[in-house]
Amino acid sequence: MSDGDRLTRPLSPEPSRKLGDDKGPSSPDVRKPEGGNELLRRMKKVDPDQAKKYRQRSGQ
Amino acid sequence: MRAILAGIETEYGLHIDGRGASTQVEDSQALVRAYPDECFVGWDYRFENPRADLRGFNLEHLAFDPVDAKFDAGKSYGSSVEIRSDRILPNGARFYNDHGHPEYSTPECYGLHELARQDVFGQSVVLRAAQSYGHGAQLYKNNTDFHGASYGTHESYLVPRDIGYERLFHAVLPMLIARQILTGAGKVGSEAGAKAPYQLSQRADFFAEPANTETLYKRPIFNTRDEPHSDPTQWIRLHVISGDANMIANATARKVGLVKLAIALAENGQTPVWRIKDPVATFQHISRDLHFAFRVELEGSWTTAYEILESYFSAAEATLELDDELKWLISSSRFLLEIIQNHPFDARREIDWVAKKWMIESFMNEEGLQWDDPSLQAYDLEYHNIDPDHSLHQALVEMGEVGPNESSVLIRPTDTRAFARGLAIEKYSQYLLTASWSGLVLKVGADTHEIYLPPEGRYPVQLAHAEDVGSFIEMLRGVK
Repeated sequence: MSDGDRLTRPLSPEPSRKLGDDKGPSSPDVRKPEGGNELLRRMKKVDPDQAKKYRQRSGQ
Repeated sequence: MRAILAGIETEYGLHIDGRGASTQVEDSQALVRAYPDECFVGWDYRFENPRADLRGFNLEHLAFDPVDAKFDAGKSYGSSVEIRSDRILPNGARFYNDHGHPEYSTPECYGLHELARQDVFGQSVVLRAAQSYGHGAQLYKNNTDFHGASYGTHESYLVPRDIGYERLFHAVLPMLIARQILTGAGKVGSEAGAKAPYQLSQRADFFAEPANTETLYKRPIFNTRDEPHSDPTQWIRLHVISGDANMIANATARKVGLVKLAIALAENGQTPVWRIKDPVATFQHISRDLHFAFRVELEGSWTTAYEILESYFSAAEATLELDDELKWLISSSRFLLEIIQNHPFDARREIDWVAKKWMIESFMNEEGLQWDDPSLQAYDLEYHNIDPDHSLHQALVEMGEVGPNESSVLIRPTDTRAFARGLAIEKYSQYLLTASWSGLVLKVGADTHEIYLPPEGRYPVQLAHAEDVGSFIEMLRGVK
């Protein structure tokens, strides 16, 4: 058996990351794409209440 | 390594204005029955037993969602065969109504990309049925209604029974927890526990235990259902229920390939050893970690999902004979993991949760919205709409921001038992009494022929050129 435990680390604080903050997701490296207005146009056609109305039975 | 047979079954969300969860069983049943293209009706249920457990016992009954039970109070839907309304397609797929969700089960495939194409083809099957049914039905290839109801996208893998539950569980569980960083479909918000603005996984909120047989309620990360759909003395079917429905076909291929690596390492006894302290909490922590650290607490130490995945890649490269698809899997996954840690949005062409997050954040920036805006879940939902006129995933494809999926045309696998099943539907349906994953029953004259389809059999291309049904049956009996 190979030893996956060789990759473990001693308990220590959460490693720091440059991405995000405690308030939620950050927006790293967002750029407006070519045709970005087309995406916005499509998104603006969405009924903003669609998810509110969307109710399903549980499946598997 | 052994080529591993696999399939994917997806329960689609169904929305019709003015209808809802209380009428969903009837609506889904009618929609499946409206499927207009060539198919066969006559699924054989004799070999199905969802209460058998890999750990060697049978449950008396499966748990049922108490909310759904209220919808069914006082109702009589008819026989289970009537409700399910199975259709079997000429590519060997199954299309039916499962608990009020139109469900498409792909034919069995060996290839990762072939299976992903079959999964994409399933979207066109469901869409065809929806268009034929009418009533403004909208179908969603996702796994949540944002109000606490989840429905599944399951994977099935053919695994030798002699591996045993313990070995398989320890080999696959860490992979199921870690792979979401490459294969999660993304979700706005949370439906259990502490609030989260965005998650990698659609399903993480719904897991209650590391392993059990349930699928409708108290779901596990590792499902122990023992329903092999083949010779039970030789095979088990690993039934994975913790994955998401992917819109990006390469994500589907990667999702399946990662589990195949774990199975292959279990088979050759080279599985990396990871003892995760609290598997359910870890799955949910990774799903919610928007710092992308993906820390995993072990018994006495810690690691990260990145390192867990890399340990599988290294072990596979060192001990397995990998085909070109699995080499692609490892190299592309390593590349994406590097991108996630540095410029995560650059991974949007290949990873659904990244594509969706990028799309929503672009909209938020433009419209001045915050993550607590209740409308954001609508954009999440419409990412999964399978109607190309409404689908935001399709919008991203058209803009070149997300990789295109290969065309959704019906192609029958030629190297698995789906080949025989599909041919039977296309050419010999007048003789066919029933079909299932594991066999066919044909009646020719006064004789009934029950044929077992071995899951690893070599199905000759000459089957497609059999002179008549007798020759077809004779050839199938010779498949080993």
